[in-house]
Amino acid sequence: MEFLNPIFYGRIARIVRRGCMLGFVAATCLSGVRAAAGPEPATVSAEYRVKAGFLFNFPQFIEWPARAFATAQAPIVIGVLGEDPFGSYLDELVRGEKVGGHPIIVRRYRRGDDSADCHILFISGSEAGQFPKIVSALAGRSVLTVADEDGFERAGGMVRLAIENGKIRLRINPDAAKASGLAISSKLLRLAKMITPEKG
Amino acid sequence: MKKLSVEQLMDLEVTSVSKHPEKLSEAASAIQVITGEDIRRAGATSLPEALRLASNLEVAQIDSRQWAITSRGFNNVFADKMLVLIDGRSVYTPLYAGVYWDVQDTMLEDLDRIEVISGPGATQWGANAVNGVINITTKSAKDTQGGLLVGGGGTELRQSEEARYGGKLAPNIYYRVYVKYFDRSDSVRPGGPTANDAWRMGQTGFRVDWEQPLDTTFTVQGDAYDATMGQVGPDNIRANGNNVLGRWSRSFGDGSNVKLQVYYDHTHRRIPGSFTQDIDTYDLDFQHQRPLGPINNFVWGVGYRLVEDAIVNTPANAFLPPSSGQQLFSAFAQDEITLRKDRLHLMVGTKVEHTEYTGVEFEPSARLSWTPGGEQTIWSSISRAVRTPSRIDRDLYSPATPPYRIAGGGNVVSEKLTAYELGYRAQVSPQFALSLATFFNDYSNLRSLEPLTPPLAFPVEQSSGLRGHSTGAELTADWRVTSAWRLRAGYTELRVHSEPNPGTIDRSTRDSIGRDPNHQFSLHSLFDLSAHWECDADLRYVGPIANQNLPGYSEADVRLGWRPAPVWELSLNGQNLLHSHHAEFNRPGARREIQRGVFAKATWSF
Repeated sequence: MEFLNPIFYGRIARIVRRGCMLGFVAATCLSGVRAAAGPEPATVSAEYRVKAGFLFNFPQFIEWPARAFATAQAPIVIGVLGEDPFGSYLDELVRGEKVGGHPIIVRRYRRGDDSADCHILFISGSEAGQFPKIVSALAGRSVLTVADEDGFERAGGMVRLAIENGKIRLRINPDAAKASGLAISSKLLRLAKMITPEKG
Repeated sequence: MKKLSVEQLMDLEVTSVSKHPEKLSEAASAIQVITGEDIRRAGATSLPEALRLASNLEVAQIDSRQWAITSRGFNNVFADKMLVLIDGRSVYTPLYAGVYWDVQDTMLEDLDRIEVISGPGATQWGANAVNGVINITTKSAKDTQGGLLVGGGGTELRQSEEARYGGKLAPNIYYRVYVKYFDRSDSVRPGGPTANDAWRMGQTGFRVDWEQPLDTTFTVQGDAYDATMGQVGPDNIRANGNNVLGRWSRSFGDGSNVKLQVYYDHTHRRIPGSFTQDIDTYDLDFQHQRPLGPINNFVWGVGYRLVEDAIVNTPANAFLPPSSGQQLFSAFAQDEITLRKDRLHLMVGTKVEHTEYTGVEFEPSARLSWTPGGEQTIWSSISRAVRTPSRIDRDLYSPATPPYRIAGGGNVVSEKLTAYELGYRAQVSPQFALSLATFFNDYSNLRSLEPLTPPLAFPVEQSSGLRGHSTGAELTADWRVTSAWRLRAGYTELRVHSEPNPGTIDRSTRDSIGRDPNHQFSLHSLFDLSAHWECDADLRYVGPIANQNLPGYSEADVRLGWRPAPVWELSLNGQNLLHSHHAEFNRPGARREIQRGVFAKATWSF
């Protein structure tokens, strides 16, 4: 009967004591780190730095119809709709970069209706509930829609940045892109998993 | 990020909280990675079986439940130069120096990956990471949402049931709970009679992950298990244990990150006719990584561990004193220096540890990696690692009262290794990858057994009177023959030599050190017959182990998998099909043989 054994209680008491001690040290370290880190900095996780890298790379693989640009020097606009997970990181990444003579710029939108003038639109997870509405509002516009939350494919989105085994994987719906007049390079398609909304 | 192609971006780890999320450090080591998908396709039913997929490991099944697993030689039932971590928790027993593989388990379906690093990892991981590190990580609860039921059974794995459910507690807070049970059949003695070592185990556990958007993750997880193992003798072995771990990590906008981890682990094992042991481990680990300008990436950390054990001795053998408490203090610092961007990297660092038996130990290393262009890397390293004495090295007496035949090991000091490595890795084409790692290891102060009053054979004491060296090469190839067919091959060549220091009389060398095959070969084939059918096969050859008079053997595993619907998977698995029974380890008298096994398995996710 282990429960009646005073040695058993002695052990439990010791474990609790040690646990409290470790907890105390951990709490001290944590508060030290918090103090050292200072006020909340504008931070971007590794995940969103990599995702920003994908957005930055996409223009090389997409062909927009000529009407998508007012002039040959008009910028390629990467839009971010909803809560911005990239902070200033995306801006720093595209600064001074050009693709096919078009400089790349970043714009942020609060509402889906405003975003029709961009070329690539990243729809933040904060808008996940609105995916179908946002995507259908952009139908026929030459906007490459990108998101990372589940359900984007079903809503008719074009590119999802999914995480598998800790790495980012591309899910592309080529039919949706084609319907909007966008041509996606086979070099990118080769690296992606093709999806059709019916199969989710 | 600017310079990276889409392919390179796809290769980056984005969810890891390890010492280097982007794994640059491992570019300069002999690492092999086993993914959860590899394990599923191999039909592995336990962690040791999954480890057969890493060709840089020697994996030998000793009997129904015991395994000898190491890289780069000195294999044994307690392979004492191999450090093993499960989700950051060390499972190397400080009592016996080695790993009780029979109680290391988890839901294999929820495994993310197993990293097997052959070669010293002491600068990062500390003492006992001498010949290698096995780093087992499970998926975040975010990635195991929903239910999973797994059931199966057959001839050797008689029955196995697993259930997991994962859900969301609040926005960004995910959990999972699991429970599993299995019952495994006996191995046999040479010639066929049963070895009476059937065993069964139940395990349950949970994991909660709080992933705050952008930068912070907080994980709490725990497991508890209970096992009953057959043995020759009056009664079964009972083992149980539990652990709980908390980990907090945060990354900052300047590329720096911090990680704090705390865990408690308890193990209990009662071996009728031998020891009963209770071990409590309390561990705290902190690390901070920070890029210093474009050239340097600096990581430092501190750690503390307290291990308390209580042994119930027998008249025949005793740990003296029967209980002990030992503290370990550690600190490490490491700098990754970009000598030429994207081309040439140097890592230098050291760990400093203080143990109660041996005082201060230094474990420095330097690693250089050169990417001459294209998808290839040449790397080299020099490192030092130590195996610090465990209780069994210092405190084991036989019998329990004088006069002793084995009289402890008060003079045992740390085993020391200086390792030289040279490796090459290439992605020859998108379909074909190749890697080669070679090494020369120079050991001193290896454990010996020395007579106290020569020329009398007894009493003996344990000491540190041996030295040795080993050399070898590990070659792997990964070929995606077609989009439906993948082949992985591994070949490992190894030579281990040990000898007494001049003037030392040692009674252990011949059969207790260097129980290693000189070569082994493995081939894994993963074939998608159609969208619903998979056929996978593993073939392995392990060379003879000379000082155990153990012949070499070949064995094969085959799996046929069927997915009639995305939520269903049925499979038929055959293990060790080439012989009705075969031996993988041990000298003739103690040898057990592993039988051919067949089992069926069904998985339903909802």
